[in-house]
Amino acid sequence: MSAVPPVVGYAGMTHLGLNSAVAAAERGFAVVCFDPGRDCIAALARGEPTVSEPDLAELMAKNAERLSFTSEASALRRCAVVYISPDVPTDDGGTSDLGPLTALIAAVEPVLAAEASMVVLSQVPPGFTRGLARAEGQRFYQVETLIFGRAIERALHPERFILGCADPAQPLPPALASFLGSFGCPILRMRYESAELCKIAINFFLVASVSAANSLAELCERIGADWSEIMPALRLDKRIGEHAYIAPGLGIAGGNLERDLATFVRMGAETGAETGVVLAWQANSRHRRFWALRRLHETVLARQSDPLIGVLGLAYKENTHSTKNSPALALIAELRPFRLRAFDPAVKVDPDWHPALAQASDPLDACKDADAVVIMTPWQAFKALEPAAIAKAMAGRVVIDPFGALDGKAAASAGLEHHRLGAPRR
Amino acid sequence: MLDHRNPTPTPPKRVVILGARGIIGRALVRHLESEALPVLALGSAEVDLLDPAAAERLGARLHADDALVVLAALTPDKGRDIATLMKNLRMGEAVAAALAGRACDQVLYVSSDAVYPMGPALITESTPANPSDLYGVMHKTREVMMASAVKPERLAVLRATMVLAAHDTHGSYGANRFRRQARESGKITLSGRGEETRDQIYLDDLTALMRMMLLRRSHGLLNAASGVSLNFLEVARLVAAQFAPAPEIVFTPRTQPITHRHFDITALRRAFPTFRMTAHADAIARVHRAEGL
Repeated sequence: MSAVPPVVGYAGMTHLGLNSAVAAAERGFAVVCFDPGRDCIAALARGEPTVSEPDLAELMAKNAERLSFTSEASALRRCAVVYISPDVPTDDGGTSDLGPLTALIAAVEPVLAAEASMVVLSQVPPGFTRGLARAEGQRFYQVETLIFGRAIERALHPERFILGCADPAQPLPPALASFLGSFGCPILRMRYESAELCKIAINFFLVASVSAANSLAELCERIGADWSEIMPALRLDKRIGEHAYIAPGLGIAGGNLERDLATFVRMGAETGAETGVVLAWQANSRHRRFWALRRLHETVLARQSDPLIGVLGLAYKENTHSTKNSPALALIAELRPFRLRAFDPAVKVDPDWHPALAQASDPLDACKDADAVVIMTPWQAFKALEPAAIAKAMAGRVVIDPFGALDGKAAASAGLEHHRLGAPRR
Repeated sequence: MLDHRNPTPTPPKRVVILGARGIIGRALVRHLESEALPVLALGSAEVDLLDPAAAERLGARLHADDALVVLAALTPDKGRDIATLMKNLRMGEAVAAALAGRACDQVLYVSSDAVYPMGPALITESTPANPSDLYGVMHKTREVMMASAVKPERLAVLRATMVLAAHDTHGSYGANRFRRQARESGKITLSGRGEETRDQIYLDDLTALMRMMLLRRSHGLLNAASGVSLNFLEVARLVAAQFAPAPEIVFTPRTQPITHRHFDITALRRAFPTFRMTAHADAIARVHRAEGL
């Protein structure tokens, strides 16, 4: 290990890049944050986070002296370790567009110091890192497991590092070993392809759990069982585990999981591996994605003329302002003929989303005179709402609350017709 | 999945209906004419699709700005054998040949849920068509025939499940047969205890759906189902409730294994968000009244 802490660089001030960089600074490293976007860099230099995460702004301020922001790639030359962290966009089918990533690598790699380690942090298909031009001893792939809303916590306290190397038997460059070692967690070295597939494998097990939960939750809704009663029993089973992804959801969301499924299906088709189970997960996800829409049709839209729908929550999930892959926006897009009134603590209504979507001033204002209310993001502010107050504000009784922001019994006591994923229809 | 060329409903210049003398065809003609939409109703008397000159004759009647609805088919009550299959395919061949020679603005091919396999899977438009009988094979083949002759943005395929209609002559096992049995014998006969679940669509809903697909110039694939499946005992009870005195429901030894069919109609909801499906009980009551019972 080198005696002097290495300078660490991040290329791509994305959700992943920024949170990782701030966590590195919090660990005591000087960090160079590069992004070609001048507006983004200017905002960050002013101490304004470009993404929303708990503790991010505070840690940026706390570590301001260790963080430098630049739109000049050459500033990365003084870094001993440089992470490549742009987003890899996907199309509707989950297929990755690696163009922005390869363009960034092409811009950054030539300016790096010869002995610097370049670490690809973005999600790439197996085979990508092997195909890069940089010397194998200075080229790595690291699995990221970012979770929106918990990005800082995950970046500061990783469970382990999974590192793809040209030769896992060779020791890591001292600067990279020093940086990763500072986090005090296991470092698992493996071949590039294994690490890249490991990322997909992690997501596969999450998808398998979520798909099982979603399938069983749907049956619960139809036979009078309640998935929320079953989940604690599963979490106490060591083979399943307390952190298992068994909370029902609106299909597989977020883009990254879909990307891995699409990658597997493509590679399976190319190589002759059996893909049936993945196709079934994808089909189940497509089905569950429209759960709230189906419930709305069953309860209100197919029965009532010109209904007003209150929408609580627009963000992709609580504690973020991101609306990318937001189930709320996906639902709103399907409700174009209807009147909507929405509120989110972090997201303002965009008129481009819908021709008749009004901005409410607060959660109860969104419920005012609504024939149905859908709670699409389970913000704490919505969990704190009194069902009686919602009932009083609404014209109708139907509350579609997929994630159970409200207590079902309390909602029923207030006279609301409460619909939650995995709960029997009341 | 269905997409629309017209963002807002716009009447076609003319709707040509092939198979206009059948139950669905007659209802569609009535529905469209009630809204003063120009309709050319063609039955086998006007254009016999089994005639060797059918393609030429049909082509001569079609205009480039027509919407063509293809309903003409020999249904299973006319025969489930290979000869019937081949006749239906010849009819499809004639339509495809006519369309290959003279493109229409839109073609709406009315197919059947018989193209889907009978199994436990929830049926959506993504469910692979894997028919288990010649009738299903016929519709799937004719769908491909249409696709070979019509540009994708001009072709809509509507796969209809069992249709609930007054004066139905097909006699398929379900509400229509139960009503006839109740009327004629005072009994409704079920196989086993009527455990199988099936969807059905009310004729007026089906024609309303077709009308919307014509007005929006829809293209792609859509299932025509209500999204609510009942078992045959529940259907029999709904039918029986229309009669006074109520007919006896008779259970007979089962000869076929129990199968189920449920539809996920999300694609329909997304394509036509304001469309309201008639509840089965209401539809059965309306059909009962329409037959003057």
